[in-house]
Amino acid sequence: MKTNDVMLQTATKLVFFIIFLFSIHIFFVGHYTPGGGFVGGLLTTGAIVLLLLAFDLKTVQKALPFNFTIVSAIGLLLAFGTAAASIFFNVPFFTHAYDDFTLPLFGVTSLHTAMIFDAGVYLVVVGSTVTMIQTIGGDK
Amino acid sequence: MSFQLLLNFFVALVWMFISSSFTASTFIIGYLIGLLMIIITRRFFTYRLYIWRLWAAFKLALLFLKELTLSNISVLRLVLRPKMDIQPMIFALPTDLVEDWEITLLSSLITLTPGTIVLNISDDQNTLYIHAIHVDDVDNAIDSIKNSFEKAIKEVSRS
Repeated sequence: MKTNDVMLQTATKLVFFIIFLFSIHIFFVGHYTPGGGFVGGLLTTGAIVLLLLAFDLKTVQKALPFNFTIVSAIGLLLAFGTAAASIFFNVPFFTHAYDDFTLPLFGVTSLHTAMIFDAGVYLVVVGSTVTMIQTIGGDK
Repeated sequence: MSFQLLLNFFVALVWMFISSSFTASTFIIGYLIGLLMIIITRRFFTYRLYIWRLWAAFKLALLFLKELTLSNISVLRLVLRPKMDIQPMIFALPTDLVEDWEITLLSSLITLTPGTIVLNISDDQNTLYIHAIHVDDVDNAIDSIKNSFEKAIKEVSRS
């Protein structure tokens, strides 16, 4: 029996954005407070899973037309590229660089190449987990 | 409603550019000036001023708090009673609300007040099935919900 899940869908349309926003926040504060690429990626996956629960697989694949295996590949490239960039500066592998920059709107911000590595981790986590869930859920 | 809000924000932005000071206080002053202008030109709009809808939403929140307190007390009295002479019941509530968010809001408000839970919403979204812990008179219960929550939600969504 199919129930009318209007309540779940309406709430999902609102809550998805809150979870997504929180995942972005967690990703950026990872340097000084608990958080980072892994947790942020898992939270983003959680938001996508909520969409998958409220709507069906086809709708979500139409709404987010990404091939998530390619997303994790891009993440691996980012992480490896950040680690390998140290070769050009004659420093050991995985040496990070950082400096303070004055950005518009943000003021003085400390930019660190670890953030690019973290973005790679984020993309790998999102890509792999969503691929797993979609593959298991798509089985007939 | 959304157009008026956008217009108000736009007026506030233009005010910031005119006075060439980009601070929060300038924005608030511009916003108030824009509100005044929208109130003066309210005859040009085919629907209500958005402040009335905000006021209706505020009244709905107050009504919800009142109902929450009262129903909590009544459920507490039911629990503390030595004899269990309650009359649980599942009844259908016909609703006139159309939009998805209105139905969701009404169901959430009914579920959040203790003693009543929305079990299901019918496929055509005209009927809510509600379980109540203690009902003396079904028509009375339906009327009380219709006259409190549904009326307030209609007041918010009235254009």
